[in-house]
Amino acid sequence: MGYEFNKVRILLVEDNQPMLELAKSLLVTFGVGTVHTARDGAEGFKTFCRENPDMVIADWMMKPMDGISLTRKIRNDPLSPNQFVPVILMTGFSERKRVIEARDAGVTEFLVKPFNARDLYRRISQIIERPRKFVRSEDFFGPDRRRKSGRGYDGPLRRNTDVRDDDYMINMGEREFSSPTDRRR
Amino acid sequence: MSEETHYNQQPKRNVEFIVPPNTLKQKVGTGGLSDDILDKAQKLLENNSVDFQPLAEMYLASLMRGIETSQKTPDEDEEYLIALMLYPAMQLKANGGMFKYPLVTTMADKLIQFLEVIDAPDEEAVEIVLAFHTTIRAVVMGRISGDGGSHGRELLKALNDACTRYFEKKVKRH
Repeated sequence: MGYEFNKVRILLVEDNQPMLELAKSLLVTFGVGTVHTARDGAEGFKTFCRENPDMVIADWMMKPMDGISLTRKIRNDPLSPNQFVPVILMTGFSERKRVIEARDAGVTEFLVKPFNARDLYRRISQIIERPRKFVRSEDFFGPDRRRKSGRGYDGPLRRNTDVRDDDYMINMGEREFSSPTDRRR
Repeated sequence: MSEETHYNQQPKRNVEFIVPPNTLKQKVGTGGLSDDILDKAQKLLENNSVDFQPLAEMYLASLMRGIETSQKTPDEDEEYLIALMLYPAMQLKANGGMFKYPLVTTMADKLIQFLEVIDAPDEEAVEIVLAFHTTIRAVVMGRISGDGGSHGRELLKALNDACTRYFEKKVKRH
C-alpha cells in the first residue's frame, strides 16, 4: 500500500511558465489530485485564501511578490486560512545565508533547483512523515528550526557552504552563520 | 541546593510550541511512492521538450542590464548592483539543469559563488561577469546541452581561473 495523493491539493506558485508546467506534471505523476497554480506571490496568496490547499510549493524569485513574502503572509496575515500549511520554497540559491533567510520567513522545506523527481518527492515525504512543530515567539511564527531525529539526505554536498536538512533545522538557529552583508532584494 | 529555576528571575521570552494536526498524513496514508512512479516522473522530467533558449536569452538580457548598469553607474549602491547580476545568474543556474543544460547551471553556479563573495562590483569584477555572460551565451546559442565534454571543462576552467586571478590580485594589492 503506497501513498494516495488523490485527495491532496497543492498550490504551485511559479512565474516561469515552462517550470510551472514541469513541476505540475511531476505532481500529477505522483498522483496529486488537484494542483492549483499561480504566477506570483500576490496571486498565490489570493488562491491560497480561496482554495486553502494542503501544501504550497513556491518559487523564491517572483515579481511583484516573491516566495518569501508569500510565506510571511501565509504565516502572519489575518486573512490566511491556515497558518500551519507546509511551504516548500524552490530556488537556485543554496548558500547558507539564503537558507537562513527562507527559514526565518517560515519556510518548511527548501528545494534547490535544478532538482530531480526524487528530490521533490523527498521534500514532500519529509513534510508528511516528519512534520515540524510550530513555534510562536515575540518575533517569530513558523516551523521549528530544529529537527531532532533521523537524517535526510546523506549524500555528498556540492560545496562546503551548502546545507544538509538537519543542518537547516539544528544549526540554522545560530545567528553566527548569517552573513554580515545581505544582498538587496 | 536551591530548587529555584532561572535564578528566581522571570522568563524573558515567551515561546509557545504548537503541534498542528498532520492532515496530510491522514489523507495520504502510509507506504510512500513506488520506484515505478518515481522513475516515470524522472523520465518525464528528462524527456521534457521545453526549448531553454528563449528563457536563457531573457535571463542573459537581464544579466547584461545588470552589467551595463554596474559599468555606467559605479557609484550606485554596491549591494544593489551585485543583486542586479546575482538574480539572473541564479535563474540561469536554476533553470539550465532543469531543461537539459547542466553546463549552464555549473557556470552560473560559479558566477553566483563569485558574486556572493566580492566586496564590490569594481571594473575588473564586472569584466569577469561579462566573460561569464559571453561564455554562457555561447553555450546556449551553440545548443551545447549536457556537460559539454572536454570543451565544456575547458570553458569552465577558464572562468574559474579568471575568478582565482581576480582574488589573487586583490590579496596582492592589500
